[in-house]
Amino acid sequence: MSRRGVGPRRPLAAAVVPSRRGFMRGMLQGSAIFVGLPLFQRALNGNGTALACGGVIPKRFGVFFWGNGNRPERWIPATDGDSWELSEELAPLVNVKSKVSVVTGLSVKVPNLLPHTSGAAGLLSGMTPLSADGVESFAGPTIDQIIAAQVGGDTLFPSLQTAASDCSGESWNGVNSRNPPETDPYALYERLFGPTFRLPGEEGLVDPTLGLRRSVLDSVMGDIATLQGRLGATDKARLDQHLTGVRELEERLARLEEDPPSLESCARPPAEPEASYPDIEGRPQISARSRIVSDMLAMALACDQTRVFGHYVTDPVANPLFPGATAGHHNLTHDEGGDQPEVHAITVQIVAELAYLLERLDAVPEADGTLLDNCCVLGCSEVGLGQIHSIDDVPIVVAGGLCGTLRTGIHHRSYTGDNSAMLMLSILRGMDILAPSFGADDAYTEDGLSEIEV
Amino acid sequence: MPRSPLALFVLLAGCDTPTASEEPPFLRGAQPDYSAPAPVLRRLTYSQYVHSIDDLFGTGLVLPDELEPDTRAAGLYAVGASLTSISALGVDRYESVAYTIAEQVLTDPTRRAAIVGCVPVSPADADCAREVLNALGERVWRRPLSDGELDVLVSVTTTAGMTLGDFDLGLSYGLAALLQSPYFLFRVELGEVDPAGGHRYSGWEMASRLSYFLWDGPPDDALLLAAESGALLTDAGLEAEVDRMLQDERTRRGLRAFFGDMLHLDELDALTKDPSLFVNMSSELGPAAREQTLQDLDAIVLEDDVDFRTFLTSTDTHIDRTLAALYDVPAPVREGFGLTTLPISGGRRGFLGQASFLALQAHATSTSVTLRGLYLREVLLCQELPSPPAGLNTSIPEANAERPTMRDRVAQHLEDPSCAGCHQLMDPIGLGFEHFDGVGRWRDTENGHPIDPAGSFDGDEFVDAWGLGQVVADHGSFAPCVSDTLLRSALGRTLADEELELAEWHADGLHQEGYRLRWLFRDIVMGPAFRTTAVAP
Repeated sequence: MSRRGVGPRRPLAAAVVPSRRGFMRGMLQGSAIFVGLPLFQRALNGNGTALACGGVIPKRFGVFFWGNGNRPERWIPATDGDSWELSEELAPLVNVKSKVSVVTGLSVKVPNLLPHTSGAAGLLSGMTPLSADGVESFAGPTIDQIIAAQVGGDTLFPSLQTAASDCSGESWNGVNSRNPPETDPYALYERLFGPTFRLPGEEGLVDPTLGLRRSVLDSVMGDIATLQGRLGATDKARLDQHLTGVRELEERLARLEEDPPSLESCARPPAEPEASYPDIEGRPQISARSRIVSDMLAMALACDQTRVFGHYVTDPVANPLFPGATAGHHNLTHDEGGDQPEVHAITVQIVAELAYLLERLDAVPEADGTLLDNCCVLGCSEVGLGQIHSIDDVPIVVAGGLCGTLRTGIHHRSYTGDNSAMLMLSILRGMDILAPSFGADDAYTEDGLSEIEV
Repeated sequence: MPRSPLALFVLLAGCDTPTASEEPPFLRGAQPDYSAPAPVLRRLTYSQYVHSIDDLFGTGLVLPDELEPDTRAAGLYAVGASLTSISALGVDRYESVAYTIAEQVLTDPTRRAAIVGCVPVSPADADCAREVLNALGERVWRRPLSDGELDVLVSVTTTAGMTLGDFDLGLSYGLAALLQSPYFLFRVELGEVDPAGGHRYSGWEMASRLSYFLWDGPPDDALLLAAESGALLTDAGLEAEVDRMLQDERTRRGLRAFFGDMLHLDELDALTKDPSLFVNMSSELGPAAREQTLQDLDAIVLEDDVDFRTFLTSTDTHIDRTLAALYDVPAPVREGFGLTTLPISGGRRGFLGQASFLALQAHATSTSVTLRGLYLREVLLCQELPSPPAGLNTSIPEANAERPTMRDRVAQHLEDPSCAGCHQLMDPIGLGFEHFDGVGRWRDTENGHPIDPAGSFDGDEFVDAWGLGQVVADHGSFAPCVSDTLLRSALGRTLADEELELAEWHADGLHQEGYRLRWLFRDIVMGPAFRTTAVAP
């Protein structure tokens, strides 16, 4: 039984805070309305796992993103369908191959006018990015935020953005509204597993300051609401984002007073991060950072602190020196000659980080299977062949079966350059989000990618 | 902000001859008609947040390195701050830092005494709480608080004081509420009806506009008094205040913030170089380079108040031992930074000879003629270049016996019509700096072969980087670009087409006044874009 702290429980919040769902609809300008399916429909997906998964055991979604693409000829497996072998660049996925589907040949259908940005925005939001007066922005929310708006309300964090380098990430709520990742592994650890963390079986926090902090946030929300009354539509929407963040924090503080979810595999991660990860000989510690963050992500999901994450290894156009490379990554994708052995080697290193994350998720037992079985992790980059900023044949890995709703262990190749938005729609539906469509203009689709659906 | 070709022509004609004695003094025309666009809501940038805390509670508090990440839009964080909002991560960080600040202030007797003037008679002493929050609130929110606002804050404070049994602990919650409020985190400058017609910024709003523009920080008590008295709404009152403020040390902070933003000097913190190729590379190099650039600007603009274009041509510069080693000159002082004069024989002068430009606009293992050329055009001349089209193979051939130098290697870029259209605008300029390697150290040769740095820039010939600095300084777009960028920074937004005439008027004034940039700060404050607004939409 949980015990409450002292202080009023959200005295002002109900009066001034619009629902998160209403906010998201506003951000989407009413173009699409997403509605969570009632439980009984979720139970009827026909493979028998749904009651445990998607019910007591939640479904999770994550993005694993890296910048600058791949070498398609060394990425695409030689054969497709059920019987296929990992390619050179996919080789690190060997231990999770049966739980991974590789999707090749998909095209991002937005016009490729802004190198790197068009691909990232087109893939993850299905919309052409905006660019005016030197300001670039996504035009709508990315898939992780569309999902978080539906499934994020029951967890401490509606979504988590993490990073393996000092980057900005590719999670957006809408125009000029980005969700930056926590780039400092130690700060991430403090957020997730610091003093407020409780293991299953422990009781909620009894701390009068939680209620006091909530009363402060109430006064902040009151100020935001009052100020909004004096603003034009654009600035009002900006403060909506601020308000949403304050409300999320307020709800998190309230939730800390409740008993934590009792999930069998929830535990503290095996190791605390270092206080800092300085460059070594001019090279950022991307691998070390990605791995310690992956350890934390696995447990954040296992403990149901969040059901949605975005992990950003590097940004588009990022130019770090990877181990063994003679120049920065972006630099190499453009300037390295021949078949670009260094670009290839970097891609393999990045896929190894994806493999590490997936293996961590697969190491967590959950119901009859593993955490990975109940996830969909979308591994992707904003371009295919970075040298020419190609957004045809972008690299995509779909990992985890999402409770049996997505096919795993296949290489699906589209020979017709299918719209990448179709895959996004399949993922939304796998997450039990009744979305009529994904994307806009040439990237618009009402069809999922049936080959990846169960 | 690109200018119309006609306007550019007029400015070029005005600036062509650098020696003023050969022509009659240039006088700008009358202020053009001006109609202001709607106001924008700006979030405090990271540096404005930190400076606000410094000025409100005294310097020296421990603050995190990151809050809400700033975003450059149209080249400036100052513009990004009026487009972006506060993310969920930012909300967390602002909350956490608010309590950190409150604790540090209230547990330090000196800092506490500066804000708590009463002696609380109980943990929930509402009168004392009201007195503290009323006075502090006006400084934190940069305007007086309403009774209703004060009631909420006092209630938060006394509830916490009662719950925790301690007045100061209670007050920390009231302080945290002030610091997390949008009235602190955003600059609410929405304007009011001007009795003389139209809309203007109110006295309180003008105080914030002045202080964050000139000081990159909050109003001081004198400025708040001027706001309250209405003095900032009159020409004479505003002039008196801007002149006072420009004499204040905090103007150095404002100047640094502006140029750090415009020149991307913050990126020097993340300078990445392969130390096996560049022996001068160290974690101190980037920050030292920034300090050099900013100290030089401080001397030119504030100390000496001379033609700011000497920033690109002066051999006088401020360096420390780290930079002295890079530039291969004696260190002027043992510790810190000192003034030195670079030898003419070194071929290095002005900002374009500094690591802030040469190392930052280069790759981790090499120079980049494209980045250096692009930076000159976009940042120093405010020209917009198109993005490279998709589908182009952008690789350049590797160095070999036939193509030993970068000039040889990019030759193909400059001939292939699909590349040349843009690369002709960047690479030939960048090639002028090839005597400086990827970290900014002089090299006589590249791969054992002589370097040819000569070229031409928009019709003006140069023989090397030394001459190129003069060409850019004299370029008809350089001074107007700095003027426009300062105006965009002051307004926190891009300029509408209808405002270009006013922007030119300010730039003409800068020309008229011998390119003394300090004068332009004052001119922008006194101008209509800074003082008037349309009704919020």
